[in-house]
Amino acid sequence: MSKVLMLAAILLPIIGSIPLFLFKWQNRRAMRVYLEILVCMTSFLVWYLLLKGSAEPFTVVYFTGNLAIELKIDGLSTMFAGLVSVLWPFATLYSFEYMQHEPRERSFFLFYTMTYGVTLGIALSGNLLTMYFFYELLTLVTVPLVMQTLTREAILASRKYMYYSLGGAAFAFIGLIFVIIYGSSMDFVYGGVLELEKIGSRTNLLLLIYVFSFCGFGVKATLWPFDSWLPHASVAPTPVTALLHAVAVVKSGAFAVIRMTYYSYGTDFLRGTWAQDVVMTLTIITIVYGCSRAVKETHLKRRLAYSTVSNLSYILFGASLMTPAGLLGALTHILFHAFMKICSFFCVGAVMSKTGKSYVHEIDGFGKKMPAVFACFTISALALIGVPGMAGFISKWYLASAAVSADNPLAYAGVAALLLSALLTAIYMLTLVVRAYFPGKDFDYAAIERVQDPGVCMWVPLVFFVVVIMIFGLRSQTVIGFLSEIAAGRY
Amino acid sequence: MAFIQNFPFFSIIISLFSGAISSILNGRAARVLNRIVIIVVAVLSAVTLFYTWGTGTSYVFWMGHFPAPFGNEIRAGVLEAGMAVFFCLVMLLSLWGGREHLEEEIEGSKQNYYYILTNLLLCSLLALLYTNDLFTAYVFVEINTISACGLIMIRQNGRTIEAAVRYMIMSLLGSGMLLMGLCMLYDLTGHLLMSNIQEAVAILHASGEYKIPLTVTIGLMTVGLAIKSALFPFHTWVPDAYGYSTASSAAILSSLVSKGYIFLLIKIIYRVIGFETFHDTKIVNVLFVFGLAGMIFGSLSAIKEDDIRRMIAFSSVAQIGYIYMGIGMGTRAGMVAAIFHIFSHAATKALLFIAGVGLTDASGDNVRFIPLTGAAYRNKIAGVAFAAGSLSMVGMPLLSGFISKLLFAQAAVQNQGKLLPALIVLALSTILNAIYFIKTVIRIYTPVQSDFAGRRIKTQVLFAVSSVLLVVLNLYLGCMSQFLVDLIEKGLGMFA
Amino acid sequence: MIFISILIPVFTGLILLLSPEWKNRKLLCAFTTAALLLSVSAVGITLSVTGDKEAVTLFNLTQSLPILFKIDGVGRFFAVLTGAVWVLAAIYSFVYMGHEQKEKCYYGFYLLSYAVLIGLDFSGNLITFYLFYELMSLLTLPLVLHSETKEATMAGLKYLFFSLAGAYMVLFGLFILNRFGNTLTFTAGGVLDLTLIQGKEGLLLAAAFLMLLGFGVKAGMFPLHAWLPTAHPVAPAPASGVLSGIIVKCGILGVVRTVYYLFGVGFLRGTWVQQVWLVLILLTVLLGSMMAYREKVLKKRLAYSTVSQVAYILFGLAMMQPGSFVGAFLHIGAHAFMKCGLFLIAGVIIFKTGRTKVDELAGIGREMPVTMVCYTLLSLSLIGIPPFAGFVSKWYLGMGSVLAEAPVFDVLGPAVLLVSALLTAGYLLPLSIRGFLPGEETAGIKVEKQEPSMLMLVPILILTILITIGGLFPDQIIEFVSRIVGTLFKEVLGG
Repeated sequence: MSKVLMLAAILLPIIGSIPLFLFKWQNRRAMRVYLEILVCMTSFLVWYLLLKGSAEPFTVVYFTGNLAIELKIDGLSTMFAGLVSVLWPFATLYSFEYMQHEPRERSFFLFYTMTYGVTLGIALSGNLLTMYFFYELLTLVTVPLVMQTLTREAILASRKYMYYSLGGAAFAFIGLIFVIIYGSSMDFVYGGVLELEKIGSRTNLLLLIYVFSFCGFGVKATLWPFDSWLPHASVAPTPVTALLHAVAVVKSGAFAVIRMTYYSYGTDFLRGTWAQDVVMTLTIITIVYGCSRAVKETHLKRRLAYSTVSNLSYILFGASLMTPAGLLGALTHILFHAFMKICSFFCVGAVMSKTGKSYVHEIDGFGKKMPAVFACFTISALALIGVPGMAGFISKWYLASAAVSADNPLAYAGVAALLLSALLTAIYMLTLVVRAYFPGKDFDYAAIERVQDPGVCMWVPLVFFVVVIMIFGLRSQTVIGFLSEIAAGRY
Repeated sequence: MAFIQNFPFFSIIISLFSGAISSILNGRAARVLNRIVIIVVAVLSAVTLFYTWGTGTSYVFWMGHFPAPFGNEIRAGVLEAGMAVFFCLVMLLSLWGGREHLEEEIEGSKQNYYYILTNLLLCSLLALLYTNDLFTAYVFVEINTISACGLIMIRQNGRTIEAAVRYMIMSLLGSGMLLMGLCMLYDLTGHLLMSNIQEAVAILHASGEYKIPLTVTIGLMTVGLAIKSALFPFHTWVPDAYGYSTASSAAILSSLVSKGYIFLLIKIIYRVIGFETFHDTKIVNVLFVFGLAGMIFGSLSAIKEDDIRRMIAFSSVAQIGYIYMGIGMGTRAGMVAAIFHIFSHAATKALLFIAGVGLTDASGDNVRFIPLTGAAYRNKIAGVAFAAGSLSMVGMPLLSGFISKLLFAQAAVQNQGKLLPALIVLALSTILNAIYFIKTVIRIYTPVQSDFAGRRIKTQVLFAVSSVLLVVLNLYLGCMSQFLVDLIEKGLGMFA
Repeated sequence: MIFISILIPVFTGLILLLSPEWKNRKLLCAFTTAALLLSVSAVGITLSVTGDKEAVTLFNLTQSLPILFKIDGVGRFFAVLTGAVWVLAAIYSFVYMGHEQKEKCYYGFYLLSYAVLIGLDFSGNLITFYLFYELMSLLTLPLVLHSETKEATMAGLKYLFFSLAGAYMVLFGLFILNRFGNTLTFTAGGVLDLTLIQGKEGLLLAAAFLMLLGFGVKAGMFPLHAWLPTAHPVAPAPASGVLSGIIVKCGILGVVRTVYYLFGVGFLRGTWVQQVWLVLILLTVLLGSMMAYREKVLKKRLAYSTVSQVAYILFGLAMMQPGSFVGAFLHIGAHAFMKCGLFLIAGVIIFKTGRTKVDELAGIGREMPVTMVCYTLLSLSLIGIPPFAGFVSKWYLGMGSVLAEAPVFDVLGPAVLLVSALLTAGYLLPLSIRGFLPGEETAGIKVEKQEPSMLMLVPILILTILITIGGLFPDQIIEFVSRIVGTLFKEVLGG
């Protein structure tokens, strides 16, 4: 029974959103209630499945021979599906208020909800092919969301996003083929499925292919030099940039990289090879590059987008350490960064939606006028920087200690990059905070008199995220304990 | 000999004679006859398919029971029969989908001509599939060329005539080379029947005699067929021929005609030259390289194109490149992939041409991109169909294109030397495909206030049905490809 | 008890920050005073009832990272110092802040900073220390930003980014130590696990160097001192007083913890780290003095002076000798009082006359004689003239370094200190001289008495008196410091 429920959880939002497309929905309120119920039901279903524990794999359909679409719940999928299913209802709630004044609300929610299903699909994939399938699908359902505003800029951004993603998938596909040929199966098995006798002397070839697929999936996870789609894609409405471009889509990329590294190729095969050095170097470059660009950027959302670029490479860096500790760091950062970044994006989104301001220099003095939003923003900023006591510190701690104990000279450089990036993060986040709270002596508050905190749909998610950030920062043992079980492959 | 064994012969004859009969019928009657013939042929081929599938072997059918070398031979296996069924299906759907257009673009009095040509085309295609005689093959190649020319030219405007002439010249060049090769082969072996030639060639190859003439012969035949099937760089006729002819013609030409030649080439490789011999001549490598080049340059040209029809045509060049890459892999797996791609590309390209027409119709017959903005909202079915076709081309899982890509890639991995170029070009070409197809999909799904809304909104039922069926066909190939792959494997097994 | 002493200022500070604008200024001042006194007495009680060995874990950040408090000698020393300066500067601010805006905010952050400093002093391990260190950078930022001018904002950001850069260098060391140390708890003599570090000495030395540089940022050490002369002067005078008096000392505290409690003297002495560090320190000493000498704006001059003087302390620590260690600790205390007093005086001058440049201050001694007498006395102490505290500390510094077995530096160090003392005299005394003896031109002009109110004057007087007493009767303190030394230099003293 619960086997079928896995499929149901994926299909529920996808099919459930179709009525949005079919009917006119004169009553906007009804549509919202319907959507929220739909999303919550899916989340409950997911949690039911996750708490019930790992079910047997469920084969949906056979492609050719032994290539099947298969769903399975293991530790990694529990983590990702759990994360996504917590965030989605809140993000949906937030978007109700955000999308109030935007055109084409219906098509937005149609794709937004569909994306939920597809993301769950990635999380619950039981083998590489299934993940690849949902991965491609994810690109497709999110393109309309980027295009939402239909400005020229948005269309160009969505095209760019599309090309990058599909191009990345094309290279990841090569990796997929090699796993099919040289692995014992396509299923995700902790430790990898490669069969050494099949590989023979072709180790270098396989490593090259691994680098290809790392970069390929890395495109979605905004690995340098394939990162430029993300800042462009921030023309999308904020719920999209916040949930998809900080969590669902980009983390799917990171998730795929982890699957590929730890569950298909296997770390024993990769550790200590030149391939590891190459991918680790790329992640280190990205960490610093993303931050530096964020410092230069003056558009609020693009700044946060570049910040995401850098933070995702924290995750990839952790993954590229290829030790359980590194994986633990990566998983922790996936989890924590999700909350931190979505929180800061939602704050910025609240500013943009309520005042129409979208540049750094335009938010002077807002701290006084939107106290709740900027309090949340400050906390998420501090967490992102990695101030102890906040979630960000914990994940960085695990990443860095994994790097230090990896006994790889390059990993020390990674630690340095992490710290440099923390400094740059402080620069680009705290300048915003300082601007908002200390606009200058002669600042004319009358000019922003009408600026005020957003309504309940917006601040409920914000407060929730802040609370989560704080709790994770102070009391993370339970979560970490669970994640380390996953990282050690025991769950 | 079972009665069923006559069916391939029947289907060729039926289509041949229906062509003749159509010349005295009016357009409407010719159309009905044409549909009936296609359906009958499809059924006959399907029965043949089941029969051969059941017996597990191919059989040779002597026309008029005269044994070779005096009589003419037909040979039927699962692959031939399966392909015949498939060709009939695609042809039927293409004709349905483009029918409205066809009746508008072709003068009433000439409509029966169109069906004559179609019937002849079908006949020649079937003959190319089934024949076991190299010379018969040549004859039907010519028939095929001529009827294809007619299909292009029948929509009369300056451009189609020019296109037809171009096509004619290039095609004849190809046929000429094929003929030369054929003559030399006859000279070398003294046979025209495929099985006989194969034996002779095998002896020649083993003895090492006539090494160079043999290579030249193989080269001539290969290049001739490559020109005819629009392998890069012999593709210059493609965009005009596919771009300006009527939609059904374009769909048939790109889905079927070029595939017929490729199938003939495969047949020559296996049945005439022998796979080993062919492999040893290194011509595979040449095909491989040109296949790769085609994949890239076809797509690049398509990206530059501002005309949706010509863009799809250029995409065909790229897809033909895929097929030749598969053949050029020089392995069994590569061949399977190539043949699968023949199927998958036929289904997809027909879908794209039909859907493309639906879109241009909804935009006041404009083929340029700007007027096409938002066309998918004006003709919803065409929009969905085009999107599905595009995604299949890009290689989205669940659609047929993905399976081809998968098979190609798997084949590439098993071939050490060609692995990296093949994989990298495959990935690059996926990206390039994505660029122009997705650009178009985004374009047609960008809402816009348009004044084309009213035109031909009665959305033809046939158009809808054929689009949907083609999409379903695509999905079927994408989701349940195992049957087809088995069929190809089995068919190739019967070749040897 | 430790928590309570930290939580009292936190809560009161938060109440101030979150409450709506207070109508009654007096009430606000009274509230702040009460809160501060309460916290200081709480700290006092804590100090007296808590033994050195007691360690209290608040909670665990992760399994291996407890937030741990422990009070040892060093912590006590700093806690007392902080409390004294904080209360005095607070009394002073009640008047000074009268003409500034957003007083509530100022007091709120003032209290929070105090809490953080106490936390810092009581930290029992590096991670706790780091936690409070970062918080300190963040919470003192509003004090710098307080005037909200463009200049202040830029200075504030500069302060923040330098501090964080320093903090991250420390963090790097933290990561390394976590790997190669037995524990992160401060332990006299170091925590390094000798079996683990085999062959990794280079890495560890680099980490140590980075940590020293990182803490050096807060302490204004060359080459990362640039924030200090920018940030300290733009803050309100009492804030600059505590910044220069106490906050920079937190960098020192970090250095003490790093060198003596984490890596251990034995590991660092005689390595390239010590040598490079010493060179940087001596450069800082000279550079700070020279820049101060050239500077015209009084508060900036004092800020540069801080750079130079704090480097004295670092020098004492870097020699890694018992004698110089005592000197360093004495100088920590002496400098905290002296520099705080000097900044308060500069504040008085600005508050009363609005003049900021040294050149404009001719004859100031006749306008506010008591203040300027204090100034002169404090200056003399800072220069190192007996019988003031500055002399005692410098004496120990000099003696310690001469006795040290560090070639080159045992001579070079004292020499540089002397030169710098001369420069100090050169940049501090002219103000006194011109203040009291303005010269011919202004002789005829009648001057008004502009002595500040008692609330401002009293803290300054107390500071001056403390310095004098400290200079006359240093025995108690020296004995206290020696006890700390006893735990740290076992091998030197015992052997």
